[in-house]
Amino acid sequence: MEQFLYALPMMVIVIGAIVLMLLSNSRMTLNRLNVIAVFILALSLIVQFFIYGEKEHTYLFETVFGSSFILDDFASIFDIMFTVGAMLTLLINNEYFKSRRYFSGEYFALILFSVFGMMVLSHAHELLTAFIGLEIASLNIYALVGYHKTRKVSMEAMMKYVVLGSMTGAFYMLGTALIYGAAGSTSFGQIAIYVQNNDIHNLSMLIIGASFIMITVFFKIGAVPLHSWVLDVYHGAPYPITMFMASTFKIAIFAIALRLFLVIFAPINGFWTELLQVFTILTLLGGSWLAINQTLVKRMLAASSIVHSGYLLIAISSIGLGSDLAAPAVMFYLIAYFLSSVGSFGILSFIASKKKTQMKYEDFKGFAHRRPYMAIMMTIFMLSLAGFPSTIGFLGKFYIFTAAIESGQFLLAGLGILTAFISVYYYFKLIAMMYFYESNEPQKEFPIGISTVLIVIISLIIIWGGIGTTLIPYIPGADGFLDIALQAINSLK
Amino acid sequence: MQEHILTVIIFLPLFTAVILGVFRASTRALKVGAFLTSVVTLWLVLWLTYNFDPQGKMQFVEHAQWIKHSGMSYYLGVDFLSLTVLLLITLIMPPLYLYMKHEERKGYWYNMMLLQTGVTGAVLSLDLILFYMFWETMLLPIFIMIGKYGNGMHQYNAMKIVLITILGSMSMLFSILYLGYMHYETTGLWSFSLQDLTNIVLNAKTSVILAAGFLLAFVIKIPLVGFHTWMAPAYGSAPTPAVVIMSSIMAKLGIYGIWRFGFGLFENTLIFYAPIIIVLALIGLIYYAIRAITEDNLRRMFAYSSGSHLSLIALGLFLTNIYAWSGSLYLIGTHALASAGIFIMIGLVYKRFKTVRISELGGIASKAPKFTFFFAFFALSIAGLPGTGGFVAELLIIIGAFETSFWIGLFTAITMLSAMVYIFWMLQRTLFGEQNNSTEFTDLNLREMIMLFPLVVLLLLTGLVPSLFTPMFEPQLSVFLQNALYAIGGLK
Repeated sequence: MEQFLYALPMMVIVIGAIVLMLLSNSRMTLNRLNVIAVFILALSLIVQFFIYGEKEHTYLFETVFGSSFILDDFASIFDIMFTVGAMLTLLINNEYFKSRRYFSGEYFALILFSVFGMMVLSHAHELLTAFIGLEIASLNIYALVGYHKTRKVSMEAMMKYVVLGSMTGAFYMLGTALIYGAAGSTSFGQIAIYVQNNDIHNLSMLIIGASFIMITVFFKIGAVPLHSWVLDVYHGAPYPITMFMASTFKIAIFAIALRLFLVIFAPINGFWTELLQVFTILTLLGGSWLAINQTLVKRMLAASSIVHSGYLLIAISSIGLGSDLAAPAVMFYLIAYFLSSVGSFGILSFIASKKKTQMKYEDFKGFAHRRPYMAIMMTIFMLSLAGFPSTIGFLGKFYIFTAAIESGQFLLAGLGILTAFISVYYYFKLIAMMYFYESNEPQKEFPIGISTVLIVIISLIIIWGGIGTTLIPYIPGADGFLDIALQAINSLK
Repeated sequence: MQEHILTVIIFLPLFTAVILGVFRASTRALKVGAFLTSVVTLWLVLWLTYNFDPQGKMQFVEHAQWIKHSGMSYYLGVDFLSLTVLLLITLIMPPLYLYMKHEERKGYWYNMMLLQTGVTGAVLSLDLILFYMFWETMLLPIFIMIGKYGNGMHQYNAMKIVLITILGSMSMLFSILYLGYMHYETTGLWSFSLQDLTNIVLNAKTSVILAAGFLLAFVIKIPLVGFHTWMAPAYGSAPTPAVVIMSSIMAKLGIYGIWRFGFGLFENTLIFYAPIIIVLALIGLIYYAIRAITEDNLRRMFAYSSGSHLSLIALGLFLTNIYAWSGSLYLIGTHALASAGIFIMIGLVYKRFKTVRISELGGIASKAPKFTFFFAFFALSIAGLPGTGGFVAELLIIIGAFETSFWIGLFTAITMLSAMVYIFWMLQRTLFGEQNNSTEFTDLNLREMIMLFPLVVLLLLTGLVPSLFTPMFEPQLSVFLQNALYAIGGLK
């Protein structure tokens, strides 16, 4: 019965997804379907809060699945983020899909299925299970990217993503096969024991296999030089999907990457340090270069999400060098990045729901005059992404850079700070556009609706997460978020 | 209240701004609110000054945990150095608000209040991360004020000042993080409070690199020659209140930073940079003076003049003797008052003539005697006219320079005279002669006189009765200096 409770969040979502799929052809309005989808997610979220912090290291239905699914706080926190991310995507974009003809009922089912896939990914304790989770999530996202069937850019983006994504999926399978060949099992537990009992010189086959898996991870997080899809796919996808991908799906990849890197390959993770450092440098510089040159805000955010992957890679290579701060730093940064990107894409898609054109930098001219409160919140998100102090983004960068310094990677820390400086340019450019130009249009009233209220809440959390202390109980401030990150990491070991 | 007076002083403007913003206050309410806030903070700071013990070190200290995992603390305190700058900030704010009386754009007022919180916080924080937070935050209102309400190529110049300044702060951030990590490595605890970090023993090489990180941030803010490319464009296109704050307060914060964090953390390393800074400052004295002579735009001219005086302050700071240090501290105060005055006057010229080009002005003296008096007074006190505070300060620095080396002293003394050249020539062309402009020039009204009056009084007081002010800072300044000299001697 306890087992049943632990598996309930996932089951609620998958059953809900099937129900929604069946309902999608009925005559229900999109609005009502949206409410149902959010209700399902909320139900799952409530159960997750009950489970969180409850048990350590339980295998779900061990008699049936063996050790395929694990339940720990690490997975629970990721689950919470996925669910919240999906809920925010659905709620904030309420306006957006009402204004677009091409949205139909299955949109909600696809989102729910992909959340299910991500949850499988974060709970996976076995390579094939992880692959299945990854593919469930990816396949749904492929479909979502190409949702606007008549738009060429959208279709191109989908094809690009499907082809490249499937190819890197093949890399993952190859890696799994090699690891199975070496360790004789795909279960994380068995692999970890095998890695521990062998000298690094006898592990070449496993290392090659693990490197192949790493390539898949690099591809999915958009590390340079495997980034070529990012801009086009983020650009081609409808705003809600871009928001979902950038904030939620990206984090899901880190769930499995961290579990592999921190637990399974812990004894040998120093092996990849140089490789990671090279990827980090390329990602930071390449991403910054791309971001500087964009004219569309959406593409700029896409490119900057590559840079954020670069920061995370700094911390991951610090893990390999034995830094204690690095692993919580990654978790904290993921939370910070999640909040900031949900917020910024949320505002973008909120604006886009009224406008039918692609949003350029120039379109933001006079935005502060038209919508002063929205502009303030957009500024907060930009500042947080740029790592400006007094926002949660600053603390995220703070932990990452101190971790890099702790592990002796001064150059990477310096480079990270340099790219943070470059990022000031492209984020402040948007602030400049919003504030520096007058607008002839009259000032609009602040539309109080579910989307805008949520955006306000996110922006408050970002500020509070940057400066907040533990003065107010139950609302995690800067310390609270780090506590969460620490708890997640500690539950792994 | 008494224990938290510093917190109140810092956050009162921000708090007022937030309250007014949330309730969507009318412009009139906003004006009244901002002005009242500035008066209340002034009153609080005067109370603070009255209760300040010149013999004591850090006073009114507030120390609380802020973010415990990373050892950041909410650590505030005031000593003679911060009190000087704090007094200046709060003294300059009410006249500025009076100057802005007819300003109807709401964003202006909000930004000024944010700015006050930013600069005050930076002056009072003794925790490096807290300092960094305020240091960055004060840039945001300046960015928006230049970009939104400026003139000329203001959008471009706003971006320029932000990028160059943030480049400096980022290098400082690296040094801060490294220092924090060093503390963690030696004691096992994270801490960024100045007090804890001074105890860290650094080897010479790291110390030199880390000091460079801090110095870059401060030197850009001052700016010394070579780091000054943002200055003239930013001053030229910023609206008057922003210029006043930049020249009177923010530039001084660069000096304050070197004093507090440079000499606080790296006493014995700074000697390594002293020759470089002294040479840069000397070059700056001449270079800025020449640029000021050839400049036709009044704002840009006084930007260069301000750069020249800040070079002088930096010079005095790195001469490390008691005359030069007292002179530097004194000049921080008097130059802030005088440049606030002169930039407000230029703002008034702009309001009347819609131009600040010297070649388009002239003949003001015959029409507006009161205006002429104030304008000439502030300009001359910038040049260091005997009887104004600037004279005392410059004299002290020159004595200090002679004490260090005859040639530096001679050089400084001669270049200081060049200030007379451009000031007198400028006065001649703007105030006297033929009017090159058909617009009617109205004299100062009562409000404008009231806002300028305190600045005049203070400048005269600092010039005529320096003994009123020296007891406030002298005892601790000499202690501070002895510590620095001791550390330098330890290196030799």
